[in-house]
Amino acid sequence: MSAIEIRNLFKSFGPVKAVNDVSFTVESGTVTGYLGPNGAGKTTTLRCLLGLVAADGGTALVNGHRYAELDHPLTEVGAVLEATNFHPGRSARNHLRVMCTAAGLPADRADDALAQVGLADVANKRVAGFSLGMRQRLALATALIGRPKVFILDEPANGLDPAGIQWLRGFLRHLAHEKGAAVLVSSHVLSEVEQTVDNVVIIAGGRLVHQGALADLTANGDHGVRVRADEDEKLAAAVEREGGRAERLGDGVLRVRGLDREAVGRIALDERILVSEMVQERSDLQKVFLELTGSAQNGSAGEPRPQVEWPQPRSTSGGDA
Amino acid sequence: MVALVRAELQKLFTTRLWWVMLISALLYSGFVLVLVTAFAGVSGSPGVPASPGRDTPEYQQLAWSSGSAATLFVMILGIVMVTAEYRYQTITGTFLTTPRRGRVVTAKLLAGLVVGVLFGLATLALTAVVVIPAVSLSGGEVTLTDHGIPRIAGGVLASVALYALFGIGLGALIRNQIGAIMAGVAWVFVVEAILAVVPALRTVGKWTPGGASNALINVNVNTGLGEFDLLPAWGGAAVLVAYALLFAAVASLTTLRRDIT
Ligand SMILES: Nc1ncnc2c1ncn2[C@@H]1O[C@H](COP(=O)(O)OP(=O)(O)OP(=O)(O)O)[C@@H](O)[C@H]1O
Ligand SMILES: [Mg+2]
Repeated sequence: MSAIEIRNLFKSFGPVKAVNDVSFTVESGTVTGYLGPNGAGKTTTLRCLLGLVAADGGTALVNGHRYAELDHPLTEVGAVLEATNFHPGRSARNHLRVMCTAAGLPADRADDALAQVGLADVANKRVAGFSLGMRQRLALATALIGRPKVFILDEPANGLDPAGIQWLRGFLRHLAHEKGAAVLVSSHVLSEVEQTVDNVVIIAGGRLVHQGALADLTANGDHGVRVRADEDEKLAAAVEREGGRAERLGDGVLRVRGLDREAVGRIALDERILVSEMVQERSDLQKVFLELTGSAQNGSAGEPRPQVEWPQPRSTSGGDA
Repeated sequence: MVALVRAELQKLFTTRLWWVMLISALLYSGFVLVLVTAFAGVSGSPGVPASPGRDTPEYQQLAWSSGSAATLFVMILGIVMVTAEYRYQTITGTFLTTPRRGRVVTAKLLAGLVVGVLFGLATLALTAVVVIPAVSLSGGEVTLTDHGIPRIAGGVLASVALYALFGIGLGALIRNQIGAIMAGVAWVFVVEAILAVVPALRTVGKWTPGGASNALINVNVNTGLGEFDLLPAWGGAAVLVAYALLFAAVASLTTLRRDIT
């Protein structure tokens, strides 16, 4: 049984097909990134999974049950949704205490969770005075009080400072890889989760466009090995004899396809050709992502690691994307 | 369920609204009490009988009933207990903790009952603090067990407590905070006032929350508006409970089921 299992999920808001036949699973011990541009349907999927939004069709299960059927949901699932879910007049500690009371958890879990997210110093401050990042940390604390093994986080990095993001990445990896938790984390910025996630599920216009290991995403494209050699013509000829294809990029640089780095190096050694540079080319993740979500034409993919966010949210005209 | 009720009480007592409402309730019922006391025995225009003097049991009956002024604030508190969750979107966390939504409303109703009783006791305590010295100073005999005073005090307590339920039901039905408060206040000050004053509508009026509350308190003092047509006290309680449960039940089938987005 998968920790999270979503099967043929549908949800429309009027004419907008927010989630259109989405299926994927998240296994324990892994971090899965749920990615897509603004309006792709990420939040809607997660809210269906948490029983906050009633799906039109399909199933969304946590530990094999619908969320509403869980007897002690906080001890099974930790969820972070928007950062605004707090009464401004209540202190951080009291927010968590109320949840502890309702869930039948010991009250000291509140302080434990606050310490974990670095809010111990402001535990008694009213949330009205909290910054966006502090609210986000408090939201994370609400997910921790029940010590669950499944985490469902909607853009948890929103509003966090670089140190906070760094910490969050480490924390999510720790939860999954050391504590064996299943983590589903949504984001609209691939580079934000790229260092954290094991698997990716990509959604655009309510439909899944890709699902698999993060590594597969980059392995998708047609890669080459870039080599710079003083006798590039001689190397090109040798590569082609060995069954590879060499593309002459000029200035002594070749792009070799059909052979891996080791093979290319061995050929150079055999031919006694001096190689001054050799790299395995990878397709740019961001570029792959943009292509998958159908926004590649909006450019900037060729620039070195741009922090691209989608220029436009999906139009609300609905229909099949 | 006990845990959920405790959590609801904790929600209420960890924000400031409850004591703002408590002070308002005490000020308002205190104001009514002061009026009743100050004008006790004073005759208005000729022909109108003088209101009962401070040394009479009737004064004590009137004074003890003044606590019912707190119902308005308890109703608002009840409304806010539900609508604040939507206003600040804490409903998300509440439903994540307790995904069976009906249980949340039940817990709120029970917590509202507890808070309502506390508010009722507070207003009764205030009444005692004013009435007992006022009667003693004017040479009357303080009665706490006679002349229907226990029933009046009990009626005040019950109607204050049940108005909290009424507010919670109303809030669940109209999730918008301002809208629900306006509806509640307009009901109390406009609709019920009209139903109470227009003689032809009095038979309808007894079925309103205000009429039900009057039935619970039922002071037989002529206030110049003539006899009220009232239900028996238990009927009054039943009507108030029925409103709350009806609203909550309708809300459970409609507004509460909506998507939380
Ligand atoms: N309550 C609602 N009423 C109407 N339409 C809605 C509602 N919630 C979401 N939608 C629509 O459903 C679609 C998916 O929205 P959703 O919030 O799930 O996207 P998202 O992937 O979370 O986007 P973002 O990255 O901006 O958070 C959008 O077109 C949005 O306009
Ligand atoms: Mg979203």
